Amino acid sequence: MAMHGMRGLSVFISDIRNCPNKDQERLRVDKELGNIRTRFKNEKGLTPYEKKKYVWKMLYIYMLGYDVDFGHMEAVSLISAPKYPEKQVGYIVTSCLLNENHDFLRLAINTVRNDIIGRNETFQCLALTMVGNIGGREFAESLAPDVQKLLLSSSCRPLVRKKAALCLLRLYRKNPDVVNVDGWADRMAQLLDERDLGVLTSSMSLLVALVANNHEAYWTCLPKCVKILERLARNQDVPQEYTYYGIPSPWLQVKTMRALQYFPAIEDPNTRRTLFEVLQRILMGTDVVKNVNKNNASHAVLFEALALVMHLDAEKEMMSQCVALLGKFIAVREPNIRYLGLENMTRMLMVTDVQDIIKRHQAQIITSLKDPDISIRRRALDLLYGMCDVTNAKDIVEEILQYLSTADFAMREELSLKAAILAEKFAPDLSWYVDVILQLIDKAGDFISDDIWFRVVQFVTNNEDLQPYAATKVKEYLEKPAVHETMVKVSAYILGEYSHLLSRRPGCSPKEIFSILHEKLPTVSTTTISILLSAYAKILMHTQPPDQELQNQIWAIFNKYESCIDAEIQQRAVEYFALSRKGAALMDILAEMPKFPERQSSLIKKAEDAEIDTAEQSAIKLRAQQQTSNALVVTDSRPANGTPPQVPVSQLSLVKDHNSTDHALSHENGTLSKVDPQPPSADLLGDLLGPLAIEGPPGATVQSEHNAVSGMEGGPGAVDVSAIVPIEEQENTVQPIGNIAERFHALCLKDSGVLYEDPHIQIGIKAEWRAHHGRLVLFLGNKNIAPLVSVQALILPPAHLKIELSLVPDTIPPRAQVQCPLEVANLRPSRDVAVLDFSYKFGANMVNVKLRLPAVLNKFLQPITVSTEEFFPQWRSLTGPPLKLQEVVRGVRPMPLPEMANLLNSFRIMTCPGLDPNPNNLVASTTFYSESTRAMLCLIRIETDPADRTQLRMTLGSGDPTLTFELKEFIKEQLISIPMAPRAPAPPVAAPTTPAAAPTPQIPPNDPAALLAGLLG
Amino acid sequence: MIKAVMVMNTQGKPRLAKFYEYLPPEKQQELIRSVFAVLCSRAENVSNFIQAESIFGPDSRLVYKHFATLYFVLVFDSSENELAVLDLIQVFVETLDKCFKNVCELDIVFNYSKIHTILDEIIFGGQVLETSSTEVMKAVEEISKLEAASNSITLIPKSASGWRNR
Repeated sequence: MAMHGMRGLSVFISDIRNCPNKDQERLRVDKELGNIRTRFKNEKGLTPYEKKKYVWKMLYIYMLGYDVDFGHMEAVSLISAPKYPEKQVGYIVTSCLLNENHDFLRLAINTVRNDIIGRNETFQCLALTMVGNIGGREFAESLAPDVQKLLLSSSCRPLVRKKAALCLLRLYRKNPDVVNVDGWADRMAQLLDERDLGVLTSSMSLLVALVANNHEAYWTCLPKCVKILERLARNQDVPQEYTYYGIPSPWLQVKTMRALQYFPAIEDPNTRRTLFEVLQRILMGTDVVKNVNKNNASHAVLFEALALVMHLDAEKEMMSQCVALLGKFIAVREPNIRYLGLENMTRMLMVTDVQDIIKRHQAQIITSLKDPDISIRRRALDLLYGMCDVTNAKDIVEEILQYLSTADFAMREELSLKAAILAEKFAPDLSWYVDVILQLIDKAGDFISDDIWFRVVQFVTNNEDLQPYAATKVKEYLEKPAVHETMVKVSAYILGEYSHLLSRRPGCSPKEIFSILHEKLPTVSTTTISILLSAYAKILMHTQPPDQELQNQIWAIFNKYESCIDAEIQQRAVEYFALSRKGAALMDILAEMPKFPERQSSLIKKAEDAEIDTAEQSAIKLRAQQQTSNALVVTDSRPANGTPPQVPVSQLSLVKDHNSTDHALSHENGTLSKVDPQPPSADLLGDLLGPLAIEGPPGATVQSEHNAVSGMEGGPGAVDVSAIVPIEEQENTVQPIGNIAERFHALCLKDSGVLYEDPHIQIGIKAEWRAHHGRLVLFLGNKNIAPLVSVQALILPPAHLKIELSLVPDTIPPRAQVQCPLEVANLRPSRDVAVLDFSYKFGANMVNVKLRLPAVLNKFLQPITVSTEEFFPQWRSLTGPPLKLQEVVRGVRPMPLPEMANLLNSFRIMTCPGLDPNPNNLVASTTFYSESTRAMLCLIRIETDPADRTQLRMTLGSGDPTLTFELKEFIKEQLISIPMAPRAPAPPVAAPTTPAAAPTPQIPPNDPAALLAGLLG
Repeated sequence: MIKAVMVMNTQGKPRLAKFYEYLPPEKQQELIRSVFAVLCSRAENVSNFIQAESIFGPDSRLVYKHFATLYFVLVFDSSENELAVLDLIQVFVETLDKCFKNVCELDIVFNYSKIHTILDEIIFGGQVLETSSTEVMKAVEEISKLEAASNSITLIPKSASGWRNR
């Protein structure tokens, strides 16, 4: 044949093949390119044959990866040659070497158009092919009508028309406006009646692109698609040449079913029935046979049918049939079908109601995790990950772990990440979670990101039950001969914090723990050494009674690293050494880490972010969120200050309001600071204690700016004071920072924050409330570099509160923080407030402040939602005073109703929308806890007057007259005015609000509202 | 849409490369190399699919078929059915076989231009144009005749109307 006869090309290719190396090849190529370049310069002498030969050489060189940056103009100009061979060369080389934005292409538009509208079908084919490969926007605008004409022409051969269809598709992609929807929809439907399968296949591709953008306009095509499918799959009405291994054009079947997937639903019942008949036939009539090609073709159709069935949301019966089929596929010998079976099962996960049927195949899917083909293993892992939930997490994660040690390196990272995410999401219990992560670190330490081990530390820190267990476990791993460095890090951290919990067990004495850890030091990197040093300091602190030998050993290490070149290590060594010599001070600074605020796992967040785009996985994600195990919820997830969710009264949190942003400062001690990049402003103690590389407990402080500024000025400020003031005891010359009353009111609404601050001290508070008990911790932080002495704290409790304050140390060391726990018990309802009488001496200054403690009535409330059925019987059963009181309140701070609802919610009084038919009224409920009343339901109704927002009528009922009265007064106080202390110079002494003695519950006399109360009852 | 067609031998030498989305030649070579690196490590009797997203970016799939000394590779996006694309490779190879009578690597090397012509009759701008190898052969033979006619100087190329009536 003539094409075989390009001798020059063959010779050149032979030469290239004979080149012994790449350099020789390059030389040969350069020589040829030079030759071609010279020949092209003198174009006149070239015969069409020669031109063609050179152009193919250029293309060959281009394919080998050499840039061919000349001859473009020649190529484009050949397009306009009158004869076929030159024109052919021009078109082919143009479409191979140029891209759609090439300037030269524009020059050719006219010629190309002439070829398309000309009568020469060979030229039409050449032009259509070039435009279909590289045509851009400009081509679309100028050629689309002509291409459409060709596609619809009845006199054109199918060879041209099928190219015209795909060419139009390209132009449509470049500029969707070129296909006018109104006119084209009918024509498209007409095209689907085409008998020639070549034209029909191309037209179907065009339709897929069109309906993907706008299915509504092409609805008339839907029944035609079903007809085509019927013709192919049921009637097998197809010419011999379009039967592929006995299957009527699998491509057209597939494309047709693809087009159908772009229509949201099939309305016409007849069409739907026909389609389902065909689909049923495909699903049932496909068997795995010996011939690989036949298998592939028949299963191409089958998998597309499955996708269509899923899309159409068929009846459950058909769905389970599909899952059963897939279950069969994932076990067959044919690897392609195993692969696609797994892939489609993963897609199937988003269909509701079939997950359980999929789970039946879990064993087989796990087997696929060991498939010889990595592509199949990946699909199996995706599927296992997608189908994992609380019920099967243990099995799946353990399988992944087992597989991890033999898995190829290409997959280990993915495997370990997925195992870690699943373990966290679905852990049935925390010790299992710790086991899984430690195994992961052990087996695939190189692939474990810091996120993963940080997360374990967070869980262990926040769960006391877990601490001895985790400590035992990490110790076991450390005793193994080869330990991954990540394991050393996590072990050092956990043993430093919690090994003292094991000290009575054999082999777990501080000295033994120390030597196990210290053995690893020579093999680890600098970051790990820092963690080890912290662990040593903590072990030393926990050793009671002190062990002289251990101390000497550890001091020697600190000494050694005092001159370390790494600044972090050096600083730690110096500071730990200094601190460990201070005895008592060490106790507090090196105390156990406080609990972490509840935060979203960065791992899960990452995984979710990655899933956001893929609609396929969004269903899975949604499901995962619904089913996430509760085991890993460290604290009650009740939002701090917002509307409390509808928590049943019985479900009380041990640690409340952990996600309050105020103490987001609970960073790790520098080594873990990457865990959760919080805004630096929240990291107060980081400012204070950061240089010490030790973190204080959370909740101590807010107001970072104050803290940072005053913290820095504390030292010099103190000097100033003592220099100016005569040396004698002075009281209260120290001005508080911030408004004490405002701080108090803020703390009435939240459970942690700063209670008081002045240049020398900051008193933070953190509270946990449970029923009628409360546990407060006062954080007394000395901001100075000199100690505060004569520290005294006295509680002046009101009669209804029992408060026990633990011993407050007489001295607060410089820059240290001491914690004073405070136990509170609520005996009966009262609005009275407890007062903390606090004093200290700094230099010659005696400072005394009296601070209201935020152990107020609303702290003993728990929100509760009450349904209509519960509310009204209760409401009616309270038949007026003294259990039910009513009052018209005037002088109310005007506020819209939602704001009032929020205000009540913030006091843990839950509004129950919809209970009162009048939109101007609010109904709310809450539960009050005290020793005398136990848990008691309180119901509140507030009727507002939209015409006058300054007054309202409030009715309140509970089973206890005192409670009814106190709560009514309490709410009234909140509504009448914003509780604010005067902004003018704050008094140095925050005088305790000495509330009037609680009046005995009785109907307030002279109150007109009380008279009205009887009417409403 | 089909993004690329590659044919390479078991040493990784490209024998045919056609990208339906423009890529600079260096990038094309890099992709061919990356694909080969994965393919050459795969055993026989495994599936015809490999994970392509790490090489070609999101929403890309790859199927390949191994014949004697050659790999035939097609890269495409999720709008195509994997097995249907695999069948298309088979059609391509069967057409080559009809054309060259037991096609081997050398046929492909030395009939570079003809391979292009055949491929263009099967895949057009990234879309499946023709799936019947009989029809592809007809089209290719027509082109060959036309070329043969024009190469011989004594023969004046006939106008297309000459074969329209057949």
